[in-house]
Amino acid sequence: MKSITLNPTKSIDYHINKWSLWIPLLVLIAFFGLPMLSIIWHSFLDDRSGQFGFSNYLTVFNMNGVWKATFNSIMLSVVTTLITLFFAFIVAYGVECTRMPGKRVISSIITLPIIAPSLVLGLGLIFILGRNGIIGNIFSLRLNIYGFWGLLIANVLYALPQAILIIRTSLKNADARQYEAANVLGANGWCQFKDITLADAKYGILSAAFVVFTITITDFGNAIVIGGDFSVLATEIYSQVNGQMKFGMGAVIGIMLLIPAATAIWIERSASKRREKIGVSSVVPYDPAPNRTRDISFFIITSLIALCVLSVILTVVMVSFIKLWPYNLSFTLSHYAIDLDGGYSSLWNSILISLMAAIFGTMSLFFLTFGVRRHTGRGKGLAILLSSLPVGVPGLVLGLSYVFSFNTADLPWGILYGSAILIAICNYYHYHTQSYTTMMTGMRNVPSSLDDATQVLGGGALHVLRDVYLSAMRLTLVSVALFIFMRSMVSLSAIIFLVSPTLPLGAFTIMRLDEAGLTSQAAAFSTCIMAIVSLMALLLHYVTNKRRKFTQ
Amino acid sequence: MSLIIKDIHKYFDGYAALEKINLTIENKEFVCLLGPSGCGKTTLLRIIAGLLDCDTGKILLDDKDLIDVPARDRGFGIVFQSYSLFPHMTIDENIGYGLKIRNVPKEEIEPRIKELLDIVRLSDYSGRYPNQLSGGQQQRVAIARALAVSPSLLLLDEPLSALDATVRAELRKEIRDVQQRLNIPTLMVTHDQEEALSMSDKIVCMSKGRIMQIGSPQELYLKPKNKFVADFMGHGNMLSNQLIKQSFPELAQLCSEETEAQELFVRPECVKLHKTEKPEAKVLSLQFLGNIQRAEVEWRNHLFLTESHSNEALAVGELVNVSIDPQHCNWMAL
Repeated sequence: MKSITLNPTKSIDYHINKWSLWIPLLVLIAFFGLPMLSIIWHSFLDDRSGQFGFSNYLTVFNMNGVWKATFNSIMLSVVTTLITLFFAFIVAYGVECTRMPGKRVISSIITLPIIAPSLVLGLGLIFILGRNGIIGNIFSLRLNIYGFWGLLIANVLYALPQAILIIRTSLKNADARQYEAANVLGANGWCQFKDITLADAKYGILSAAFVVFTITITDFGNAIVIGGDFSVLATEIYSQVNGQMKFGMGAVIGIMLLIPAATAIWIERSASKRREKIGVSSVVPYDPAPNRTRDISFFIITSLIALCVLSVILTVVMVSFIKLWPYNLSFTLSHYAIDLDGGYSSLWNSILISLMAAIFGTMSLFFLTFGVRRHTGRGKGLAILLSSLPVGVPGLVLGLSYVFSFNTADLPWGILYGSAILIAICNYYHYHTQSYTTMMTGMRNVPSSLDDATQVLGGGALHVLRDVYLSAMRLTLVSVALFIFMRSMVSLSAIIFLVSPTLPLGAFTIMRLDEAGLTSQAAAFSTCIMAIVSLMALLLHYVTNKRRKFTQ
Repeated sequence: MSLIIKDIHKYFDGYAALEKINLTIENKEFVCLLGPSGCGKTTLLRIIAGLLDCDTGKILLDDKDLIDVPARDRGFGIVFQSYSLFPHMTIDENIGYGLKIRNVPKEEIEPRIKELLDIVRLSDYSGRYPNQLSGGQQQRVAIARALAVSPSLLLLDEPLSALDATVRAELRKEIRDVQQRLNIPTLMVTHDQEEALSMSDKIVCMSKGRIMQIGSPQELYLKPKNKFVADFMGHGNMLSNQLIKQSFPELAQLCSEETEAQELFVRPECVKLHKTEKPEAKVLSLQFLGNIQRAEVEWRNHLFLTESHSNEALAVGELVNVSIDPQHCNWMAL
């Protein structure tokens, strides 16, 4: 059925629809589109002479360090992707396709890294396997976790939950009737796994691969904490800009980072388009039969993976309460007295900024998606296209582009630089695509006939907005707000160039405490952030469950 | 009141969704838009409701052109297949919604809600939420909500398609009753020819964006103007001019024009089987359908589809005679 709405050009409703699309869209252009253009522009401006040309590119390509960092980044990302996929598939298969016990506990433990800034995993690994780690101390070894191996483990742990989530979704689509048909046709277990399970999960695995690759190549937190001498593009850009003030070089490296991430996302998108075409509409969910050997082996393997994740996170929490890890294990609260200037003020800043990002982001997304759905004129395609892009932009690049656009004396942009508002906006647009997708799904679930009925009953755009969309989407709005809040609390890479001494942020403080050698205090600070974010995660979990019940 | 639709055209990306639509809905009339999915009937309903623009044409409500009037100001009522009630409002609030946004004072809204709950026989359910009601009950609330504003036209978009067979039959009768009691001109979209036959004063049969025939249920069923309407309204026999001239000379006289390009259309129940002398026709197959039985009969190298009461004894292979009632057949141009 066609559901194109009338275009009453002269009416006030037309303008409400139009501006509810265009106001958020203009903000999106101003705070995402233009900064992206400006980073490209600045990459052509020579750092010293200010002349337009390829000089920055030539300098970068002639630097040994950059080639090494590129090679390191790609190698690290490829290896991380392969290992993550291997474990993620095992966990996803265990949860979706076996009858192993403890599914819920195991899968929630493995999701834990999502509640922490990525560098907390690096921190935890250092406490366990580092020079002063517990393992080295017990066995009197001098381990060196800094560098490739440490980064690899930290990145795998960090990417694992997101990969599992994607692969689980693709396995969930399994149709019991296919397995029944295969059984009747006489296919054995391996054939069924190969031809049905793997064939179904193929696109999920592909898309998980790209997500993991993108997360790893653009990750900043772990690279700085546990990377050691192993230079990667993310740390290279940081040292060019923050250390040497070579903004043009930073822009060039940013664009280099943009290429693999954007390619990965583009390939994943075109693959998922093909997937939609062959998708089945109704599915009889697959309920695996019990199989003792299989179920117990999956339980053991997935428990071990969960144990690894848990031990890293728990170690951080534990260290924060221990006098001198790992030598003097007596209990103390002294690490919670943060020595750094400002103490906990950065935590409050983070909370405030995350709240602002959540409120501003949710509101702007609600109106944007409302406009996309109802506005019939121009701008709709642009909004959809522009909304799909931020996911391909690494936080570092987005942050750097804000420096180019807003670190200026010109009004009105200059006035925002260094303010909490700008950081909140940056944090929101960093996660715009994911939040947009959730909001759009919520919008699509509102039946268009309710919108139509309201109009025929005499309701204008504002009635439709309030009585149809706002009331049907309350829970979606809450979950989008919580998502933005949580991501904003833990993200480091986007804000690293925007924080100023007068406005420090939580994740940034952990990094500085770690740099200052106050690792136990870093652990204490991490624990505080994790506590707040997990509270929000529980709330989100509660809301999503409620929403699921509501829509059924 | 009367609604006149004049020469409406609608194109989607160059493809014609509606062409040359002309139609009148008289006062108190129940009109059905009938056709297969994709024939444009819902598009037409949405254009009349004001939810969709048309490319050319006029919609006149008592000589007032509605083309530039947005849906909210047309003062119609609409009911969709999917109930589409506000889930967060009680059924009373749902019914009163149209009045509330028209700023009708509360003292007037309340008795009106009561009255409407009575009309749709849901007085006992006052104060409940839509998800506490069955599908049929929700659809009745939707009807009451549409009626609350005393619409000048009631639009029903496949209102019964989502319901169970028994509820559907019950609600079919109820909608018709309410419509006749309140004398509201009504336009209903449906793909179910039985529904259209049993409810309407007038059926508009559509195919591929065009109107194929407008007429009373009897006209469309017994005297279809073309093959599409004939097929869509049920089974039938198409008998060639030649066969009629040879075998049923008395029917050939009914043909007004002497062209060869005509065929006689006969519904299966108008083809009678007799067990008289010298039977020439043979029963090839027999289908039992409960109250009736459908037989395929071969006569003079021609296949006839017939329907008769199940209590008439028939057997496959049996020899019978065939006759056609001249009152219930129709010459149709090819």
